[in-house]
Amino acid sequence: MTAQFWPSHVVMEVRNASKTYLSGANEVRALTDMTLALKSGELTGIVGPSGSGKTTFLMIAGLLEPPTTGTVHFRDQPIANASTRLNNLRDFRRTHVGFIFQKANLIPFLTAVENVQIALEINDVRPKQAKARARELLAQFGLDHREDNYPSQLSGGEQQRVSIARALANDPVMLLADEPTAALDGSRGRQVMEVFRTLADVHRVAVCVVTHDPRWSDIFDRIVEMSDGRVVEVRPGGAMKARLQI
Amino acid sequence: MNIALKDMRFSMLRFALTAVGIGLLLGATMGMIGLYRGIVHEALLIINDVGADLWVVEGGRSGPFAETSAVPSSLDRRVEGVPGVAATRRFIQYNQQYNIGGKSVRLAVTGIDYPKDSGSWIPLIDGRLFRSTRYEAIADQSTGLLVGDVIRLGHDDYTVVGLTKGQVDMGGDGMFFVTIADSQAINRVLPSEAILLNRVAKGRSRMGLGDGGALAAVMVELKPNADPQLVKAQIKAWGDVEVLTKEEERSMLLDGRLWRLRVQILAFTAMTLLVAGSIIALTIYMLTLEKINQIALLKLIGARDRVIIGLIVQQALWIAALGFSVALFISFTIYPNFPRTVLLVPEDLAGIAGALLLISLGASWFAIRRAMQVRAQEVLA
Repeated sequence: MTAQFWPSHVVMEVRNASKTYLSGANEVRALTDMTLALKSGELTGIVGPSGSGKTTFLMIAGLLEPPTTGTVHFRDQPIANASTRLNNLRDFRRTHVGFIFQKANLIPFLTAVENVQIALEINDVRPKQAKARARELLAQFGLDHREDNYPSQLSGGEQQRVSIARALANDPVMLLADEPTAALDGSRGRQVMEVFRTLADVHRVAVCVVTHDPRWSDIFDRIVEMSDGRVVEVRPGGAMKARLQI
Repeated sequence: MNIALKDMRFSMLRFALTAVGIGLLLGATMGMIGLYRGIVHEALLIINDVGADLWVVEGGRSGPFAETSAVPSSLDRRVEGVPGVAATRRFIQYNQQYNIGGKSVRLAVTGIDYPKDSGSWIPLIDGRLFRSTRYEAIADQSTGLLVGDVIRLGHDDYTVVGLTKGQVDMGGDGMFFVTIADSQAINRVLPSEAILLNRVAKGRSRMGLGDGGALAAVMVELKPNADPQLVKAQIKAWGDVEVLTKEEERSMLLDGRLWRLRVQILAFTAMTLLVAGSIIALTIYMLTLEKINQIALLKLIGARDRVIIGLIVQQALWIAALGFSVALFISFTIYPNFPRTVLLVPEDLAGIAGALLLISLGASWFAIRRAMQVRAQEVLA
C-alpha cells in the first residue's frame, strides 16, 4: 500500500465544489456546492438519475477535472482547485488513485497480463517484478488461465476484472468506479461488487462507485443520492445497516 | 515493456502493409532518382571512360554526341603533329537497326581505333578484347548477343568476342564495338540506287559524309604537362574543325541535349518525393489518431509524456525503416531488369533516408502535439 490509513480516515474530500461547462453560448452547471469525503475502508455508492452530476464528482475527486470553484483535499491538505493544472498531478494519480469504468478500457494490443503490467511499469516497477505482480493480481481475480489472452478474447466480465486488477496494480488508496457493472449480467456484476467490498474491508481502500443499479445497495456502506448537481440524501447502505444491525 | 512494438506485433499485417505501401512509394522515388542518374551516366559513359582530353569534331558543331559530326578519316594524322598531343584515336558512333536472328535490334555501332586503342577501357563481363583489326565485335548484353555469336552486318560476318554490361548510348541502344575499319564498312552498305545517287551528289557532300569513310571525331590524349587550352587553340586555328574539352562535351550533353529531359525527370522526382512525404506523414498521423483512446487511457493511469512520445516516435521510425528496407529491396531486385539503367548511388539513398527521417520526425511532431492535447477523461467519451 502506498499510504496507510486507519479505518474511516478521510482519504479524499471534495469541498464546496461547483463545476460549470460551456455548451456553446450556454453555461451548464454540472455540480453545485458539493462537499463529500471518501474514507478509507468505506464503500460509497453514488446514485441518481442521468445528468445529476455523479460522473462529474468522480472526475473532480479523481483529479481528472478541476472544480470551477471549491477545492479537493487529500489527507486534509488542499491538492486541487480551479487553477490547478491537473496534468501536473499525473504522478499523484498514478500512485494513489485507481479508475474503473463501464467499459473495461483495456489496451487492445496488450494481453491481459500486459494490461496490468503496463500500469506497474509506468510506476517504475522493473519489468520482471511488474510481470510477476501482474500475474499475482490476475490470479487473485481468477484470471491466471487467461493472462496471455488479448482483450478481444476475453468475456465482458473477464475484461472488467482485468481492468480492476490494473486499477489495483499500484496499491491505490482510492478506487473510483463509474458504472462498473453496467455492461455485465447480474451474477458477474455482483462478483465485481463483491471484489469492491473486499477491497474496502481487507485492503482499507476508499471505494466510490457511481451506479444506476439499485441491486447493489446492500453492498454499500453509504449511499449518496444526487440530483441536479447536488447531494440530496446520504443514507446508510445495506452493509452499514448490517454492521449496525439496523 | 515496449508498447510500440507490442502494438506492431498485434497489428502485424496492418503495419506490414503500411510499410510495404510506404516502401513502394519510396521505391518509386528511388526509381525516379535512379532513372535520372542512369540517363546522365549512360550519356556520359564514353566521355568519362574513353580517356580523351580533347575531342576534335566537325567545324561549327558540338559533336559527336550532342550533334552529328563528320571529319575526314585522315584528320588524326594532322592532329598528331600538334605540340602537346601525346596520342590520337579515331572515333565513330552511329545508331542503326538490324535484323538479327529474325529480331529487330537497335545497335549503337561504335568504332574503336584498334590497335592504337585496345579497348581496355571497355568493362568486359565475358570474353576478350580485340585481337584482330577486322570482323570482331564486343557487344553489350542488352543487344541480346552472346560471346561466340556470329552476325551478318552488311556484307560481312562479325564474331562477338566480348560482352559488356550497361554499355549503352544516351538513347539506350546497346553498344556494339567494332574496329574503325569495320564500323566504316558496316556504315558503307547502301542499296545500289543509293550508291549511284551518292556518286552524283559526291561533290556536294560534306567531307565525304555518306560514303562511309568519314569519322565522327578524333580523340586527343595530351602530354602530361601540355596546356589543354593552348592545344585546343592551335587545332581550332585550322578553321575546319571544332575542339571540345572533356568538360565541354559533358556540358553540351547535360545542359544542351539532355537539359529538358533532366528537368522533366527532376520535376517528376520532386513530385514523387512530395507525394511520398505527404502520404508517409499522413499515415503516421493517422496511426496516432487511431490510438487517441489508448493515449487517453495511458494518461489516465498516469503514464508520463515520454511513454506516449516514445510510442509515437518509435512507430514512425519503425515504419520508416521497414518502408525504406522494402524500397531498397524493390530497387535492387526489380530495377536492374528495367531496359534503361536505374543508377542507385549511396549518396542518393542516404539523402532519401535523411528526408524520410525528417518526414517521420515531422509527422511525429504533429502527432505528438495532438496526443499531448488529449485529456485523460477522453477515455470516458
